[in-house]
Amino acid sequence: MRLAVGLILLAVIGVGIAVSLGGIPFGAPKTVIGDHYVDSARDDTGATNVVTSVVVGYRAFDTLGEVTVLFVAALGLGAVLAAAGGGGGRSGVEPASLILRVGNAFLFPLILLFGAYIFSHGHLTPGGGFQGGAIIASAFLLVYLSSPGKRISATRARATESLSGLVFVVVGLLGLTLGAHNFLANFLPKGVPNTLFSAGIIPVVYCAIGLKVGSELAGVVDGLMEETG
Amino acid sequence: MSFLHDYVYYIGAFGLVAVGLLILLVKRNLIKLIIGLSILDTGVNMLLISVGYITGGTAPIFSRPGLSEGGMVDPVPQALVLTAIVIGVAILALALGLAVRFYKNCGTLDLRTAKELKW
Amino acid sequence: MVSPVVLLAVPLGLALCVPLVGMASRKAAGFVPVAASLFNLVVSVGLLPDALEEPIVANLGGFAPPFAITLFAGPVGVLLSALVALAGLAVSLYALSYISEGPTIRYHTLYTLLLVGATGVVLTGDVFNLFVFFEILCISSYALVAYVGDRAGTEASIKYLIQGALGSALLLIGIGLLYGLFGTLNMADIAARMGSVDPGPVFVAMVLIITGLGVEAAIFPLNAWLPDAHSSAPSSISAMLSGIAIEVGLYAVVRMVFTVFGASSMLMFLVFMGFLTLLVGELCAFAQSNIKRMLAYSSIGQMGLIVFALALATVHSVTGGLFQLVSHTLSKALLFLAVGYMVYRSGSMEISSLEGMGRRMPLTSFAFTVGAFSLVGLPPFIGFPSKFLIVRSALAEQGVLLQVLVGLLLAATVVEGAYFLRVIQTVYFKKGRQQEARREAPAVALFSMFVFVVLIVVIGVYPNLISNALESGASELLERADYVRSVLG
Repeated sequence: MRLAVGLILLAVIGVGIAVSLGGIPFGAPKTVIGDHYVDSARDDTGATNVVTSVVVGYRAFDTLGEVTVLFVAALGLGAVLAAAGGGGGRSGVEPASLILRVGNAFLFPLILLFGAYIFSHGHLTPGGGFQGGAIIASAFLLVYLSSPGKRISATRARATESLSGLVFVVVGLLGLTLGAHNFLANFLPKGVPNTLFSAGIIPVVYCAIGLKVGSELAGVVDGLMEETG
Repeated sequence: MSFLHDYVYYIGAFGLVAVGLLILLVKRNLIKLIIGLSILDTGVNMLLISVGYITGGTAPIFSRPGLSEGGMVDPVPQALVLTAIVIGVAILALALGLAVRFYKNCGTLDLRTAKELKW
Repeated sequence: MVSPVVLLAVPLGLALCVPLVGMASRKAAGFVPVAASLFNLVVSVGLLPDALEEPIVANLGGFAPPFAITLFAGPVGVLLSALVALAGLAVSLYALSYISEGPTIRYHTLYTLLLVGATGVVLTGDVFNLFVFFEILCISSYALVAYVGDRAGTEASIKYLIQGALGSALLLIGIGLLYGLFGTLNMADIAARMGSVDPGPVFVAMVLIITGLGVEAAIFPLNAWLPDAHSSAPSSISAMLSGIAIEVGLYAVVRMVFTVFGASSMLMFLVFMGFLTLLVGELCAFAQSNIKRMLAYSSIGQMGLIVFALALATVHSVTGGLFQLVSHTLSKALLFLAVGYMVYRSGSMEISSLEGMGRRMPLTSFAFTVGAFSLVGLPPFIGFPSKFLIVRSALAEQGVLLQVLVGLLLAATVVEGAYFLRVIQTVYFKKGRQQEARREAPAVALFSMFVFVVLIVVIGVYPNLISNALESGASELLERADYVRSVLG
């Protein structure tokens, strides 16, 4: 019964979307603002990665909102798990195998380095704050898998999270007071394109986002690990 | 046949959306519902990216001095999808936390036992 | 003149500071939302005179309009952001004493972020930015509904989350289709280009977007999550959800339909859906014995009334709809705040357990009575001029159908009066089972309740205080060409 209703609903939505997609031919250039971004990104923001200049330059306010969404989810997860009562402790877990332990000792700093490379080079190569932060969080996941008793310090994680978020907001407010008198406007020198120290506020913002997302996702993994043992 | 070849990305993305929607409408196990939500989000993101593709275009990164601006795909849907993926992950994390708590409170993952919804 | 961005940036910064403050002192963390909403209230009221003359458009990042995100602080935007800040201030003061157990620091952070999300939805002029701030609002409300750790809260939150996430997926598909069709994400730019695209694909995108936003706006039949969520949340959060979150969702629907799509074909359908929502809400409310569930169904009914008024699309009906929105926020928040402590003292949410509350908590019961009478629409409270405006503007339209609808609307008001009077009778005229001494709600909670009472009475007696602002708001919503001109020049 529910399956029948579901299929009918799906058919209706499918027809609707097909009608709409009929008006959007695949592969045809169709936007005005896309072309403008590709043409002027290097002059306006100094970044050679146009997607980054859209994410942190032209639509930086959306990125601020996105960082906030992740913050809300991490807080919500913490609140939900705290009210459920603490985890039962991880007494029944067998210790990790030799390969995992040795591999973790070797790989952990390399993964952190790789994550830092990704978020600091966001304006030059594909990547950026969120991707780098996720990689850093996966390094911490590896630590939890290989050493079941270890935990990161919760207060330090929360402090990193809040402070890096504040860096982002403060950079935005500085744009409001200095520079072009607009929130999140660029006020640092744009430098030579395709070098590391270029693109104004973009590396600063992406480093802050990378640290924030890394500590946040590590905290999320930490919370769920506590719960399920 | 050429229609199928041209629109394969749209069809594939909509297929994922359809699978995700069906799971959400039909299944009762909480973890399956969350997986369905994840599949739905993936499908929607794929749909968004396919909208921005330009035939013959390459990634919009000026990694070498000689690249021209004409041959690049639209960067805006990629930026939108970056944001949408993060928002999807956030919802997923919260849903899993609630699933853990639901299991602790009710001892089962079957949503049918949640009987309070009534008109 | 400050940029409207500070209405979003400063509370966001303060929300990021709450965990840091909380590490120093748990009690101090509760004062940060108070500071944030006070700041927003002062700035919004300060921006109001300028916004009424000429809408303030802020281009973020310093780029020109279709290429940057714009914030559009017109009369509606600034008025609603002031309303959000006012309700947020009163409820955050209430929460200082009401929220005392559990992870309180996270509660205060999530609460501040809920305010940021609501203010962002109201002020934005960009479709994808609307989505992002809408998600901030929704996700923080999913987490806050589950704040009380019991089974009802968890179930309600899961159902709310799944339905809300489904809605936001549909919303995102709609936004993607809009981008593919128009090539831009700026609301004014899309409105300007609306004539150049086939109406068929645009209609599909519009339906998807309205469905996605309608889950949060509680339009029938998308409101199945509401009774559970609003009754299982802690009362301060129920006040915010019923008073702010669903109103802001409804604003988003109205903004998209009126300004971006300009869809006159959709309006009659919305009038009908609003009316259906009103009937379903009021009739179900009458059948409830749990007081918070009753108030939740009443919220559904009132949202139906507001949709009905807004979709009639004349200046007077839209003014009436906006007035009813303000009146509902103030009255419903007051009702939930009063009920919060009444339920806490009596230990149960059944109406029958509130017997004799009039003697035990006289000030709180008085606040409840004021809220109830205002919602029903009795003078001299704020509900009266708002409902009167709606009825008069609906009767001014031609058409027998509308006259019949107005008649049924008045019948629904009678039903509303009946179930509220039943509660008031239980509170005042039934003897309590246990003879307990007078024990009022804490002073801070009483203070927040009386802020609402004073506003309800003052605006009820002098509706001209805000009716000018509301009329400018109505003409802003209806005049698409002016909106496009203000943003794009």
